[in-house]
Parts: sequence; structure tokens; C-alpha cells
Amino acid sequence: MGLIKARKDSAGTAPPPSGDPLELLESRDPAARRRAAHQLASRPGAAAALCARLAREDDLSVREAILTALLHGHPPDAVPGLLPFLESEDAGLRNAAIETLQQMPPDLVLPHVGALLAHEDSDVRIFTVQLVAKLPHPERMARLTAVLDHEPHVNVCLAAVEGVVEAGRPEALPALDRLKARFPDDPVVAFSVDAAHRRFAQG
Amino acid sequence: MAPRDAKGKKPSSGASPEDYELLCDFLRQRTGLSFGENKRYYVERRVVDRMAAVGAGDFRDYLTLLRFQASGEELQRLVNLMTVNETYFFREKYQFDCLVNSTLDEIVRDRKPGDRIRIWSAGCSTGEEPYSIAIMLLEFWKRVDEFEIELHASDIDSRVLDAARAGLYEERSLQFLPPHLVSKYFTLEAPGRWRIMQDLRESIDFSHLNLRDPDQMGRFRDLDVIFCRNMLIYFDDLGRREAAAGFWDALAPGGFVFLGHSESMARMSSLYVPRRFPEAIVYQKGHQEGRQA
Repeated sequence: MGLIKARKDSAGTAPPPSGDPLELLESRDPAARRRAAHQLASRPGAAAALCARLAREDDLSVREAILTALLHGHPPDAVPGLLPFLESEDAGLRNAAIETLQQMPPDLVLPHVGALLAHEDSDVRIFTVQLVAKLPHPERMARLTAVLDHEPHVNVCLAAVEGVVEAGRPEALPALDRLKARFPDDPVVAFSVDAAHRRFAQG
Repeated sequence: MAPRDAKGKKPSSGASPEDYELLCDFLRQRTGLSFGENKRYYVERRVVDRMAAVGAGDFRDYLTLLRFQASGEELQRLVNLMTVNETYFFREKYQFDCLVNSTLDEIVRDRKPGDRIRIWSAGCSTGEEPYSIAIMLLEFWKRVDEFEIELHASDIDSRVLDAARAGLYEERSLQFLPPHLVSKYFTLEAPGRWRIMQDLRESIDFSHLNLRDPDQMGRFRDLDVIFCRNMLIYFDDLGRREAAAGFWDALAPGGFVFLGHSESMARMSSLYVPRRFPEAIVYQKGHQEGRQA
């Protein structure tokens, strides 16, 4: 028989690294950094160190461990720590930060949204719209509608169109029509708004 | 004993919506189990039973006991009532077929005879899954005798682990096993009651494990295959993320995770590579320790 009795300790052949998790977070060994991130999930005040490491972490598994630790134990401090990653040139890191923020308590995220929607970089405003579009909060539609009515950059507006369509909220149709009126010569806006009408008409 | 109303029906636990939310948050943090408002009746029914059993004066008393009892015994009893343990042998057999026809051959491609293979059934309930794995290996993997195979199995429910170790099953659990395998691996102990053979019972290491506890998860390392099927559906997003991260740490490079047919790794982790085998989709940890961004 190829089955052997598993010993209690046999699946734990690698002893966990010991030491201060804040120091281990800078270890050369990704497994040690992951372990440190897990430990720091429950240490008060560790959000700043986790966010700082995240900014220069290039191992995907450690990134994920850090983001999960921030989500687990540090939402109030993690939200302001993660928002700067919306400006990151690293699409993977940026998207991971957005996904993590979307899983944070929305009441912690929304207070920061106004400033981000006024950011000078339209790309950051697009990512903010994408963030807002999946926040489970009653204010979400009002924020997206405000973008449709006031945002000057058409690509940011189109991100908001996508958000309201994905949310399946036909009450946004008047705002979509106003957007079409604001950009009468833009065929992409016309196409997107018409597509939204068709989608909502089909239920 | 909790009082009953005039119609003899059990009353609710007396928990306010805020109390219920507190309980759900506590259970989520400590166990990963996620219950929302839609599960309130299910949860309350069990809480009322436990409040009566421990003589809790009201819901707040009971919640205090759960939170601060040093032994954690009452939390364990409540968890035992909350978990769903319905399963049977060869459930979703196509995944076991995938194990013996595809993934194991890939795992041992660069190994030599006598090397060890480690398989973990996470959320093993009453043992049908790890025993099914054992039977599949012995019956259908031609190279089973070339390697030393360890089977680990765990569950958060201490009661089902006792049942798993005992290995005694009703006919309903065996309904999808071919009769010749029932004859080969089980003995009839009483009408409709079958016990799995001692060799198999002794070949599996059953242990109590809470997936939300990093220290407990840290016991598992260098695993080649993890089965975690139809369990993470009871977790919230964060619990699933943490479980996926724990599996990543527990797996050897190139190791595989089998999830339930309705589950996907996509919302839990971006690290795993989905592998489409003829029989099933399985999630693989890359052969490099850490994938670079």
C-alpha cells in the first residue's frame, strides 16, 4: 500500500520564521514576508509599515498577503494608505488596491472620493469612478450621476456610464441623456448611452 | 431552559438586529463562517438551543460567554451546530478522476520512487472525502505503490472529526460506491451500517483546524494537493482571501487546489493558475516561490 500514516508534524516540515514581523517584512525570503504580513494583520498600528512595503513589493504572493492583512485588521488606517496606489503606474498593483478598497467598509472609503474625483490626473479620476462603481453604498449612484453631469473629461464620464450600466440602475437614464447632450459630437458617448437605453429596455 | 410562548413555539433568542450583527461579526472573525440576515432563522434556532443548554439569561449573556470563555468550548459547540456536514463517498467524482488521471502524474514527474506525496482534505466533515481519495488512489492510480502518500484531513467541527475517525457510515453515504469497492473496503457492522477498514482509518491524519487561524494553518507545509470543496461558500470575501493565502503558504511549488464545482479562485486570489484538465479545472501554485510582478 502506498498510503502511509501521516504524522502530526509531518506536514509542517518548514518551521515558521521567528522574529519581529516588522523586520521579517523586509526579509529576502517571500515566504517570511508573507508570514510577517499575516502576523501584522492583528497588530495595531501596522498599516503604515504594510503599505510602505506594498509600494516596493514585487512578489505577487506577498502583495496579496499584505492587502489581505490590511483588509483584515486595519481598514481605518489602510484606506488612506491604499488610495495613493490609484496613481500607481503598475496596473496589477493599482487594480489590487482598488479591489481591496472595494471590500473595505464603504463608509471609510467614501469620504475620500470627493478629493479623488477632483484629482488633476484624469486617469486617477477614472480609477476612482471604477472604485465607486462597486462600492456597496447608497451614495454610489449619486456620485456616479454627479460625474455624468459635471466631469469635463469624456473618458471619465464613460467609466461612469459603465458603472451605472453594470449596477443595473435605470434611474440613471436621465443623467445619461444629459451626458449625451453635453457631448453631442462624441460618437462613443452616443453609442454608450444608446446601448444603456437598450439594455435597460430589455430589463 | 429558554421559555416558550403560549403556542409552545420556541421564541427567538431575543437578539436585537445589532446583537445579531455582533454575533455574526464575531463568528466571521473567529471562524470565517459568514451568516447574513437571510440566515437569521437558521442561526437563531441554534443559538436558542445553546442558550437553553448553558442556562444563559439572555442573548448578551450568551455572547459574553462565547467571547470570553477561556476554553472556547461553547464556541466550538455552537460551530458544531452551524456547520453543514452533508456529504457522501465519491461526491463530484470527476475531481478524484482528475487527481488520479492527470494531476498526480504531473506532480511526480520529477520525483523518484519512495518520495513523499502529501494530500490534504480541508473541511473533511465526517471523512467521506479523504477516504474517497484513499480508495481512488489505491484503485485507480497505477503508481500508488511507488510513492509514500500522506493523507491529512481537517475540519473545524470537532464532532464530525470523531465520526470520521470512527469511519462508520449509513448506506446513503455509500450509494455512489460500486458494490465491489464497498465489499473490499467496508465491513457490515449492523443493518445499514458499514465501517471502513482499519488500514484506511489509520492511514489518514484527522485534525481539528480553523482556517482563520494562521498558527493552525502554519502546521501545513509542502503539500502537493489540497481539496477544499463546498466549504468556502460559507465564508465571506475576506475569509476566502485568507483561506486562499493560507493554502498558498501550505502548498509546495506546483501544488494543486481542488475547489467545489460552483466555486472559483477568481475572487479569492489572483496568484493561482487555473489548469484545465480533461476532467476538471484545478488551481495551481506556480513552480517559482514567488511570481514577480
